[in-house]
Order: sequence, then structure tokens, then C-alpha cells
Amino acid sequence: MSPLGARTLGRSPSEVALDLALRHATYLIFLAVILYFGIQSPAFLAPESLGNVVKQASFIGIAAIGMTFVLLTGGIDLSVGSVMYLAPLIAGFAMEAFGLGVPAGLVVAVCAGAVLGAINALFIVRFDVIPFIVTLATLFLFRGFGTWLTSSRQFDFAPEMRAFGLSSVLGIPTPILVFAVVALAAHVVLSRTPFGRQIYALGNDAEGARKAGVRVGVVKGSVYVVSSASAALAGFVLIAQIGRLDAAFGEGREFDVIAAAVLGGASLFGGVGSAWGAVIGATLIQTVKLGLVFAGVNLYLQPIMQGLIIFVAVLADSLRQRRIAISRRRHIRPSA
Amino acid sequence: MSALLRFESLSKAWFGVPAVSDLTLEIAEGAALGLIGQNGAGKSTLMNMIGGVVEPTAGRMLWRGEPYAPARPADATAAGIAFIHQELNLFTNLSVAENLYIDGFPTRLGMIDRRAIRARTEEILARLDLAVSPDTIVGELSPGERQLVEIAKALHNEARLVIFDEPTTSLTPRETQRLFDVIGRLKAQGRTIIYISHILSDVARLCDAIAVLRDGLLVDSGPAEAFDVPRMIRSMIGRDLDGLFPPRTAAPGPTPLLEARGLTQPGVLEDVTVTVHAGEVVGLFGLMGAGRTELARILFGLDPVEAGEIRLDGAPLPAGPRGRIARGLAFVTENRREEGLMMEASIMDNLGLVSIRDFGRGPAGLIDRDALAARAEEARRDLSIKAGDIGRQPVKALSGGNQQKVVIGKWLMSAPRVFILDEPTRGVDVGAKFEIYALIDRIAAAGSGILLISSEIEELMGMADRIVVMSRGETTGALARRDFDRERILRMAFRETAA
Amino acid sequence: MHSTVKAAKTKRSLGARAADVFLSDYFVLYMSLAYVAVLAPFLPVLLAPANLSNVLSNMWPLLVVAVGQTFVLAIAGIDLSQGAVVGLTSVVGAMLIATMADPVVLANAPVWGLVLTESGGPFGQMEWGFLLGIAVMVAVAAAIGAANGASVAVFGMPPFMVTLVGLISVGALAIYLTQSENIRHLPDAYVMLGKGDIASVHLGPKDTPQIPRRQIHSFVTYPMLIAIAVALLAHLLLAKTVFGKWVLAIGVNRKAAELSGVPVRRVVVLVFVISAVCAALAAVLYSARLEAGRPTLGEGNFLLDVIGAVVIGGTSLFGGKAKIVWTVFGVLFFVLLSNTLNLMNLSSFQIDMVKGGVILAAALLDVLRTRLMRERMR
Repeated sequence: MSPLGARTLGRSPSEVALDLALRHATYLIFLAVILYFGIQSPAFLAPESLGNVVKQASFIGIAAIGMTFVLLTGGIDLSVGSVMYLAPLIAGFAMEAFGLGVPAGLVVAVCAGAVLGAINALFIVRFDVIPFIVTLATLFLFRGFGTWLTSSRQFDFAPEMRAFGLSSVLGIPTPILVFAVVALAAHVVLSRTPFGRQIYALGNDAEGARKAGVRVGVVKGSVYVVSSASAALAGFVLIAQIGRLDAAFGEGREFDVIAAAVLGGASLFGGVGSAWGAVIGATLIQTVKLGLVFAGVNLYLQPIMQGLIIFVAVLADSLRQRRIAISRRRHIRPSA
Repeated sequence: MSALLRFESLSKAWFGVPAVSDLTLEIAEGAALGLIGQNGAGKSTLMNMIGGVVEPTAGRMLWRGEPYAPARPADATAAGIAFIHQELNLFTNLSVAENLYIDGFPTRLGMIDRRAIRARTEEILARLDLAVSPDTIVGELSPGERQLVEIAKALHNEARLVIFDEPTTSLTPRETQRLFDVIGRLKAQGRTIIYISHILSDVARLCDAIAVLRDGLLVDSGPAEAFDVPRMIRSMIGRDLDGLFPPRTAAPGPTPLLEARGLTQPGVLEDVTVTVHAGEVVGLFGLMGAGRTELARILFGLDPVEAGEIRLDGAPLPAGPRGRIARGLAFVTENRREEGLMMEASIMDNLGLVSIRDFGRGPAGLIDRDALAARAEEARRDLSIKAGDIGRQPVKALSGGNQQKVVIGKWLMSAPRVFILDEPTRGVDVGAKFEIYALIDRIAAAGSGILLISSEIEELMGMADRIVVMSRGETTGALARRDFDRERILRMAFRETAA
Repeated sequence: MHSTVKAAKTKRSLGARAADVFLSDYFVLYMSLAYVAVLAPFLPVLLAPANLSNVLSNMWPLLVVAVGQTFVLAIAGIDLSQGAVVGLTSVVGAMLIATMADPVVLANAPVWGLVLTESGGPFGQMEWGFLLGIAVMVAVAAAIGAANGASVAVFGMPPFMVTLVGLISVGALAIYLTQSENIRHLPDAYVMLGKGDIASVHLGPKDTPQIPRRQIHSFVTYPMLIAIAVALLAHLLLAKTVFGKWVLAIGVNRKAAELSGVPVRRVVVLVFVISAVCAALAAVLYSARLEAGRPTLGEGNFLLDVIGAVVIGGTSLFGGKAKIVWTVFGVLFFVLLSNTLNLMNLSSFQIDMVKGGVILAAALLDVLRTRLMRERMR
């Protein structure tokens, strides 16, 4: 039953080990990072600091889970940073205008995110413009629209908002709970539903998926809705912890989100990635950030470490792809 | 036995050139039909018509007595026809079970009913004697196992007719044996089979009936007992060559230009030795999967080789294609669109791609546009490429024959010593074919050497001074022009079967 | 009958002529001019010399960066690290050539004492020291570009991720070097490169101008000369040289280029070097104009402006379709757009919104142009 046992015949143990290491590079890095910081300062391994890591990772993590859907189809969504800003803002206005509670506001934010995603999907599927350009344009559009609504002033939410953000259920902070629910839901959708499996099929071979009867347009459009809705939720959850929304919120976050998803094993070429991976990717980045704080490294140097880790993970993936390509070369003669 | 599939005067022509003509044939339910013929005989066109990829120009098909006109591949699947190609249509990032069900998962509460698909897949895999878990990712399977998954898909779709197109090309002997066992079992279950292969002994062994195509015509058919391998070969060949090829104008010289000795790469080539002399056209024949393209890629420095040496003009060649191009090697690949041309770029840009450095002036490499344009125009006239403004017209606006002339032209502009031509007339109409043959003769007469790779035996007999035959990565024989004989050449190519 | 045929003919030729304009290299220029013509009556300030000079001065540095990006897009790559390179090289240059430095601001910076002291940087007191500084800026950028290029060409990593890592790490390094502070006190000769207007040099001593500085409408400036020189060289390189042909060939069909003997790896590395060096040259213009090296110079929407401007010009993200003239017009249009929206008293964020709309419109136009082009070929 082992998926590896029979498949690794005829290769030396060191080659098998290298394949394994390249395939699970992110996990190895994660392990190394935790061990390193744990030795540097044992306090880092205390439950509360680890809990803090997950809580802080939830923001990028939730959006990265949504981004994974898009990357799986071989697309990209650059507009998530602006959606994080605009969708919660719309929710804020709705809460103010209609006296909605925080849960209702959350629903409004997610719905607003879904609508923004549908705009991306419209241009990508219907007008056949490449995702990079569409989402680059909506990055500007969405943020511009939001600042037009606020006249680029800060937006203050009602105090209940902050109470929600800092609340906890059964001792688990709400952001972690939301993160967990989103991750679980995404995992189930991706791995257990026809829609999820068709996303993978589409990313592996779009033409093949079309031939096999998959409704490619619908699947392709849906992932942008998922991505934007997740970004909206991510923004809402973080804003709930802060209590206000300023005009620069979410700016440049699209890159953090993509980095987390890729670190979690999602490929920019589509077909590879998982919700679980996005969680790991986002958490790893946050672990490094916090670990470097514990280790007393200059604040400004932290991104360099992050960059280095992303680089190593992408490099490992590229090397793995190359090894696969070489091993797939056509063999004519029966090999011994 | 009633006919499952029947062709009635089925024809298909491409731009007036017939690929399949007036074909009438029927396949009995539960039978296994072996379909053989040389490349270009019309087998692929026929399969594409069955599969809903290509529409017939005339005639009709009957499926279980009803008119059958598939518009899309999905129609063929729905009717109960499954194709097992050598390039498999599987999603490598999904599991075996998911590949079977991708077009319609059974669900419970919106979620895939994993237990159901696993159980059903397990049952199908057991029927095929394939001992892998339904949850195994297809990317982890060997080519042979993937083929069985493809067959499992056919079984899952309740296919009545399973068509195998060169299924053993990338299989090991053990995997091949297992495939044959499975085919036997499919027959026992009453499924109908069409088996297409170049390995004639396999066809003879697996099939009840045999049909031979040549030039789009059904030239021979009957029960398998009546066919032995020599009869199959005799039926496949036999075309009049007169007028199809220009006369060769010069005899090859004595000086060896390209000498490859003892080339060996595990799994690809075994001790291959080839020499091309000045002014000589060496034909390289082999069936699909014989290693011809692999040899070409190794000669050009694209793929690694473990042992052996390659010399040009007596001196060893450097590694990598760039050094070899500089020494005078040229390679026209079999894949014009993906490897030969910049389809979106102009004819002139394509013609200038290899030799562009010759037109760079000064340290900055400023291009002498006038010289380039003049030289490209000369090449256009020389090759009689039918085009308007070569500086503006993109290559993709040209016909296949003219595109191929552009590929040859880009190499000619660098005045190479040895040409490797891999299937230079594939997808080219008859008129342009003749022009390309004339061009080959001219290049040889000018003193360059040519290695002409082709799966059309007549083409090689018409153009080559010498033919080298390959099979399964080895050279199995060589014939001088005066000894050219179709049957002998095919026997060498079918080595394992017709020895 | 006869007349209707004739009418149809003229009509068609008119349509054909419209299509010619639409498909021409100069389409974006025509669009910019039309845009100005339409807006000028409502916005008289637009054509005021002061404003035109302002438009131009905003255009030059952006053009230099965009020219570099054009090369990368031409090989179907992308360079997200340009903004970070602008920031880093501006800091590197400033710390080498500053004539003095304030310990209150910079004493915490890791470069303090090592490179930068109270009496400025190592080249600060030399007469031509600023040129040395620029040389080092270019060298640093070239090294970053080479690292990007090598990762893409040798290891086969996706350009997006490689340069994203560059964006993150190079940007952080820039901020780290000065602990997020600006380095001021740059030599006059250097500052001149950013804002020196050539006409006023001859008008008399700079500290006592005869006319108030506001009223000198500088059109011929150093940044203009530098940017035009860069664009011209880039145009020659991309359109007229062997190297340029190789770049475009890789963009159209990398496999065919490789099989035809194009030194693909070397060209890819060089393209990323060009992109980074252009960023460094723009850093000279930006930091000289600002009279300071600032680590965050290329942050925020800068990068998206660059890519947006290049794409509006008509360069394709799929590679193989790129011209420097297109980029010049794309940058012009983008700068004009920002400027006019500013004049209309829109906030910077509303400007972003319009920019987004324009990028989308440009993409849709491109889909249309490609379709028209295809029809014409038949």
C-alpha cells in the first residue's frame, strides 16, 4: 500500500533521499527553523508564543488558502491586497448604515469579496484577458474605489468589532478558529469534492480537462471568487483585531500571500498545491518573523531571512521538476 | 456475429489530397481487428474519424447498425468507444480512481463518495490484474501501469470497442506481456478491439482479422490465419516510385564528414555507428520508437551520451549544440512548430536566426539590415518560398511546405557541412515534397552531407545513396543504393519478428 | 449602382485607415495627443509651460526603469525587484558620495563609521567622486540582476518568484543599511543630474537667480538627456543588434532559439542585468531630484506603475513582442494621466482607480488589436 515502496525500485537510497528532501523542502526548513530558534531561546517553544505565531499567521494564511485555488489553475491574483481593504470597508459601511452586528458584517465582507472576485473572473473567462493584467488593474481599481468611499480617511469600526477580534471560543482565539475553519473547509473542497478535483485536473492539463467534459470556464472563474472571498475574510479578521481601517491597509500584501502559498508547495504553473500547504507556508513565514524577534535580530533584516527561505523552497521545487523531466525522457530500449 | 462498427465508402481528403478513400470495412462484435500500414497510409485519419476529431468528407459510419457521426471526442466516449494512445490522456496529479471519475463523480452531501469510487476502481483494477491502490497518484506509475489505468477508464466507461494505437512503444517486455494478457481478457469478455501496431508478430498473434491500408486505400483484408508476416509486408508496400523523386545529380565523394562511432546511452542507444560522406545522402529508417530522433538529438549535442565519439572532418565535436552549429552541423527537427520556427515572427527573422551573427557589425553587433535583407531575399528566391513581404509576413501565415522551406533556409544561410533532416516532408503537400527533395539533392551536390531521417521507406529509396536501418536503439543493417529492396529494409526494421 | 460601389469603397478605405492608426506603433502616442486635445479646453493649466515641464520631469526616471522592464517582458519574464533595486542603489550611492552626514539621524545605521562618517562618504570630497558613486551603484545593480538572471536561466526558477524574493530581500537590505533613514547632503554635481536644467546653467550663479526659480521652465534637463540616451541605446540594442534579435527570439520560441544556436542562458542573464542597471540609473535621477538617498524610493505602487506603463505601450507579457518606442509612449500616457488627474484635484487613490481602468482598457484593446491583425493577415 505504500505509495513509495514499489515506485522507488532501481534507484539508490541517496537518490531516493534527495527526492524526498526536495519534495518536502518546506517541512525540512520548518523543522530546522523551529529547532534553531528553540535552541536559541527555549521560551520560543512555549505554547503561548507558538499560539501567537498561528494567530498572526492567520491573516496571510487565510488569503493564501484562497490564492492556492487560483495558483492550482495556473492563474494568479494580484488584487488580494486591495480586496482585503475594500471588502471589509464595504462591510463597515453596511454595519454603520444598517446597524448590523459583527457576524452579519463578516458575511457582508465575504459576499463583497466574492463579488469583487466575480469581476476578475468576468474579464478572465469572458473577455479572455490574462489574469496577471486583469488583477493588476483591479488592484488599482478596488483600492481606488475604497479610498474614494472614505476620501482616504481612516475608517473606525464600532467597539464590538474589536471585542470580536480579541474574543476567544473555549480558550481558542477567534482568528485561529476562523483560520482553522477556512483551512478545513478548503481542504475538504479541494480534496473531497468534484469541484476541487476538477481544479487539479484543469491545472494539470486544461485541454485534457476540456476533453474530459470539465466545464473549464466555470471552474476557472470560481477560483477567483474563492480567492477574493478569502482575502476579504482575512482582511476582516485582522481589522477586527485592530478596530480601524486606514487607507494603506493591505497594500503590497498580494506578494506575501503568493509567497506563503508557493512556500506551501503551490506551483505557479498550476496543478500542484494544497490548503494544508498554504497553512504551513503562512505559519512558517510567521515563525521566522517571530523567531528572529526572539533571537534579537535587527527588525529590518528579517525580510532578508524570509526571502532566503522562499528562495530555497522555490529552488528545491525547480530542481525537483528538472529531475522529474530527466527521468521522464523517453526510453526505447527495455532497461535491463 | 453482427457488425459492431461498419464503414461505408468512407473518405477524407485534406485540401483535395485524399487521406482515406472509399473505405468499406466492418468489424464484428467481439472480434479483434489488426490494422496495419505504413506511416501516412491513413490509419490516424481513420481513427480520428471514429474518435470525432475529424469529419469525413464522404461516406458514413454505422455503429451497431445506426448511423454514427461523432462531432466531439465526448460523443465517441458516450457511444462506448475508448482509445488507448501512446500519449496517454491522464491527469498525473490525480489518483487512479479520480482519473476514472473526473467527468462525473458520484457524490454524497456534495462530497465525492470516496468509498464508492474506491470500491468500483478496485474491482476494475482487479479485473486487469493491476496491483496498485486506487488512491495512487498516476504520476507515480510506470508507463505500462498508466496504460492499464487508461484501459481501466475504458472499462469504467463500459466501452464496447477499445482501440489500441501503438500501445507497446514505451513498455518493457514484461509490461507488454501483461498488456497482451489484458487484451485477451477483454476479448473473453466479448469486447471488440482494434489493434494498430508496427510490430507485425504482435498483430498476428492478437487479432482475428487483419486489414491493410496503403495510401488511404484498403488493399488487403481477411482472417488472421491467412496472413503471415511476409504477406503483411508485401501488402503494405508496392507503390510506383517513378516521377515522385527528382534524379540525383551527383555522386557522393570519398571523404567522411560526420563520423559517429559506438554511441551508447543506456535505455536509448546501443553501439550505434553512422558515417556521412561529403555529398552523400544517408537515409535513416526505423519504425516508431526505433531511436532515430534520439540519435539525431545526440548527434546535435542536445542529449547526453555515455559512450562513443562523434567527429566532424576528423576532429571531435564540442559538447552542446552551439559549438556544433559553429562547426557546421544543422538540424531540421521533426517538430516544426515547437522547435523549428518562431511562428509569430517574420519570415526574415526566422531565416536570419541561425546566421544572425554574420550580419552583426562592430563591437555592438549592429545588424547590417541591407545585407540581411538581401541574403534573406536570395534565400527566398533560391527556395522559391511563396510569400509576400518577407520582412513583415509572419511564418504562421505560410503553408506547411513553405514553412519547412523556411526552416531549411535558416540553416542554409549558415552554410553548414552536415544536415540532419528529421522527417522533413511531414505535413507537406506533394508538390512541396518534390521541391524539398530537389533541394536535398542540390545541397548534396554542393558537397554537404545529409542524414535523412524518415519513416516513409519510398522517400529514402528515392533520395538516399545509402540506407541505415535502426530498431530498438540499434543499427540492424545498411544497404547501398543498388541493393535497395523494400522487403529487406522492412525485415531489418521488424528485426524481432521477421528475422 | 456605380455611386454606391464607390461610396462603399471610400468607406472601406476610411475604415482601413482607422485600422491602420489603431494598429500602428504610434497608436498610444496618438491616444495621448487626443487625450490632451480633449482635456485642454477644460484644463487650461494642462498646457501651461510649468505643467508641461512637470509632466516631463516625472516622465524621465520612470521611462528609464520601464525601458529595463521592457527587455525582461520581451523574453516572457518579469522583474518585480526593480523598485527595490532603485531603493538600494540610491542608498548605496548616497552613502558613498555624501559630503557630510548627521550623526543624530544616522549613527544607528550599520554603515555608520564603516562607510559613512560625519565628513560624508569616501568619495564625498573628491571632485568627480559622484561618478565613482554612480559606477558602484551600477555595479551593485548588475550583481543583483546577474543573480536574478542566473536563478532563472540556470536553475529554471520562475522569474516571478525569483524577483519577488529580490523585491523582499533587496528592499529589506536597503532599509537595513540606513535603518530606514534618508542620506542627505549629496554633492551639487550629482543633484544637478536630477534636476539641473541645462538652460539655467548659463543664466548666472545659481544662488541668486535673476528670475524666481519657479518661472524657469526647464525642458532640456539632465534627466531628459539621460533618459533619452538610455531609451535610444535600448532601442538600438533591442531593434538593431544581434543581441536584440536573440532577446526577441527567446521570447517567441525559446526552444527554437536554443536549437538554432542562440546562447539562451547568457542572454537571459544579461536581460536581467539590463533591467537592474536601468533601475540603478533611474535611482540616480530620483535620488538626485530628491537630494537624498532613500531606501523606500521604489516601494508601494512604483513597480505596478512601471509594468502598467510598459503593458499599455503594447509590449506583451508572453514575450517576443516588445518595442522601446511603445514603452516611451506608454510611459508618456501614464504620466500624462496621473498629471491631469492631479490637476483635476483627484486624490492619489482616485488616480489609482483610473489607472486600473486604463490598464484594463488597454488589455481589452490589445485583445481587439490581435484579432484585427489576424484578420488582416488572411
